[in-house]
Amino acid sequence: MGQKTLEFAVGRNPEMGVSGRPTASPLAPFDIAEPEFDTQKMLINIGPQHPATHGVLRLVCELDGETVLSVVPHIGFLHSSFEKLGEYRTWNQIVPLTDRMDYLAPLIYNCAYVMSVEKLMGIEVTERCKVVRVICMELDRIFGHLLWLGTTAIDVGAFTPFLYAFQQREKIYTLHEALTGARITTSATRVGGMMADLPTGWIEALVDFLDKFPKTLGEIDHLLTTNQIHIGRTQGIGAISRTDAINYGLTGPNLRATGVDYDVRKDRPYYDYETYDFDVPVGEHGDCYDRYLCRMEEMRQSVRILRQAIARLPGGPINVADPNISLPSKTDCMSDMESMIHHFKLITEGIKAPEGDCYYAVEGSKGELGMYIVAEEGSTKPVRWRVRPPSFVNLSVIAKLAEGHLVSDLIMINASLDIVLGEIDR
Amino acid sequence: MKPGTPGGLDAVETGPLPSDAPTRTVAPQSATPSDHPSVAALVARFGDAIRRHRVSAGDQTVVWIDPAKNLEVLRWLKDDPTQLYDMMSDVTGVDYGTGTVDVVYQMFSTMHKRALRVRCELPVSALEIDSVAGLWHSADWLEREVYDLFGVTFRGHPDPRRILMPDDYAEGHPLRKDFPLRGRFSRAEQTRRALAQDVERFYTPTDLQHGGPPQEVLASGHGAPGESGGAA
Amino acid sequence: MGLGDILPGGGVSKSEGGLFGAGGPTFLTTKLDFVINWGRANSLWPMPFGTACCAIEMMAAAASNFDLARFGMERMSFSPRQADVLICAGRVPYKLAPVLRRIWDQMPQPKWCVSMGACASSGGVFDVYSMVQGIDTIVPVDVYVPGCPPRPEGLIYGLMMIQEKIRQESLGKHFEHRAEDPADVARPEAEELEIVGLTGPFGNSTQQDQLSDGVAVRAGEGRPKTS
Repeated sequence: MGQKTLEFAVGRNPEMGVSGRPTASPLAPFDIAEPEFDTQKMLINIGPQHPATHGVLRLVCELDGETVLSVVPHIGFLHSSFEKLGEYRTWNQIVPLTDRMDYLAPLIYNCAYVMSVEKLMGIEVTERCKVVRVICMELDRIFGHLLWLGTTAIDVGAFTPFLYAFQQREKIYTLHEALTGARITTSATRVGGMMADLPTGWIEALVDFLDKFPKTLGEIDHLLTTNQIHIGRTQGIGAISRTDAINYGLTGPNLRATGVDYDVRKDRPYYDYETYDFDVPVGEHGDCYDRYLCRMEEMRQSVRILRQAIARLPGGPINVADPNISLPSKTDCMSDMESMIHHFKLITEGIKAPEGDCYYAVEGSKGELGMYIVAEEGSTKPVRWRVRPPSFVNLSVIAKLAEGHLVSDLIMINASLDIVLGEIDR
Repeated sequence: MKPGTPGGLDAVETGPLPSDAPTRTVAPQSATPSDHPSVAALVARFGDAIRRHRVSAGDQTVVWIDPAKNLEVLRWLKDDPTQLYDMMSDVTGVDYGTGTVDVVYQMFSTMHKRALRVRCELPVSALEIDSVAGLWHSADWLEREVYDLFGVTFRGHPDPRRILMPDDYAEGHPLRKDFPLRGRFSRAEQTRRALAQDVERFYTPTDLQHGGPPQEVLASGHGAPGESGGAA
Repeated sequence: MGLGDILPGGGVSKSEGGLFGAGGPTFLTTKLDFVINWGRANSLWPMPFGTACCAIEMMAAAASNFDLARFGMERMSFSPRQADVLICAGRVPYKLAPVLRRIWDQMPQPKWCVSMGACASSGGVFDVYSMVQGIDTIVPVDVYVPGCPPRPEGLIYGLMMIQEKIRQESLGKHFEHRAEDPADVARPEAEELEIVGLTGPFGNSTQQDQLSDGVAVRAGEGRPKTS
């Protein structure tokens, strides 16, 4: 398989110490000892409705001056009980719930869910479906990272990348819309295939997007990567070691920024990811800057994967031929008795699952996205549908990361973790 | 409809069953022989504490262990050089509605690139198990979530509070099968209780260190920020 | 004493008339209304209360392609104290309900509220234990924008309707327009019995075999009588 990792070309500012502050301040020719004050610890509350918390997250911080002594995150302000609701839905009816969970990269969630159900039921999807899903997932990785990029740049005071990123996102919105009919809530997948095959001209539109996107990405890269303000706000901020990162369960770019090359696409490959030629970017310091670099590089790698996937997109049907799983075509339904019966049974009863449980992990845009499904013999609904939420686990590290940093750094640390509250609270 | 299931308006309280609810079949002792290296090692080392194991969904190995020994077994799985499951991907619960709640651990070894699922069956009457948050930090929040949604108490957990539902949530543990989908109270009552919540009530980090009860900022003697409410 | 009592001719009880005529709103008050409403409608500062998917579409509406700034909503006010329109975008669980209400309380009058998306307007697909079934049980809502989520055009249209609504306002109806309790502003026109009949305990279009009395029917068995 060959785990190829990538070194970043950008050098680090040697003047920045471990804490992210200049080691020797050029503005301090006089070494004045700071006078001792009797300080009182202060408690401030950020959120739940705050533009910098990227959702309805509440952070209660204990401060000494401006230094964060400890942070207690409070979540659950968006608890929509997806998992309970899923127990009352048939297998295909759950698909529309999944994209409301992570509305930043909905297609990855659609795909991950049906992949888990298919794994449980032992369904092998068609080759075309596999490639189409890879395209969907990689496209939404870009989609999710772009939103992260835009909103995080705002948090450090750069507004332009937000506009650039949203311009590109609008193009992906259009692609979503052509593919599924919706801009965000795509619900594109079905157990055993997709809702519909790719529309005519969609691949051309995607290629057009892929041709133009790297240029915009380069512009954003130019605005941020070597920007001294951005570097000052991110380098050395919120660093975490490899061992700690694994112990805290970090996954995705947050883990890879520390230097661990764990990527589900490489380590537990699905959908022939081992045959695609792409690199897994890893960082070194595990700080906000490395997380930023990892995500930027991941978008470029996703473009590479997308190009390969388009080149190998095979023809043929997109849904499996089993009439107990896939709906028959509308024409067959109207003219063929057997098809109509299958249609009726599928709609009224749903697909029947074997007894067992299944945990299936894919590499989401935030990290390892696992879907754990428990079914009983012949059940048309899950006994338990559990989402292993990457942001939930990633966010739990924020108390450790923010300790000892300033309040303004806490905002950057929170942003750099790339959280989405819909999935944290579920 | 199974005999004994409440019908009519009584069923509104308990909520509809999740499926046609066939009787639960206990997973057979190793339907397919597992060649997972951890299973043989676990059986050799812990013997009876490994209750049964099987292969699920084609190639996923599941091991049921004695809930009383979960900490011991999981610590060995984490630390033993032949196992090294250093990543606790997920801790969750499963309620079958038949009197048991399973606590499920999904583990992954970044060294050996192996995944393993460990399950502990707990009777609903005694939902208690040792916390593994001391071994994996990721288990901290995940166990809080299991407590919140299933009511499983984790002994020795550093911060055993609800995480998703409000601290004073009175309707129970939502993901249990006996919990109705729309909650136990009427919508009007739920709204009334929601609006009566004190948005300024939260735990102070100092109180958490001492493991004390929830405190309000004003009462705990800290500086009271003027705008400490929901609107930041 | 309301503004209607002070202003000439604005009060409904004053039949004597004001400066420029007898009965009803007068020239002065209508012109004053016009000027005030013109100013209010064209410089709305939205307070984005974004929670979920709809918040992303709200961001898209504010970003370059749709450019909400064209409607005088250049400044997204993240502080409720300097805001006019509360855009509630996304689901609101009960845990968040007091926060929403407090933000509404912190906004100074005059203020308006847009409920963006199905979840904010009615609970949407989330008819579950944790979700508020429509934020109009918490705050008075002026405009509901349907959709899951609504497109940015939908939000913009909703905000234009707010502007239209503001243009129709009159100082004489100060208390009616400025009500704080949701029960005072939006009363359904249907009779209570009719509403009960329409709602049904657990009616759900997506789950045909789970009926209100908890009887799981298989296909072909037919629905048991609910009455």
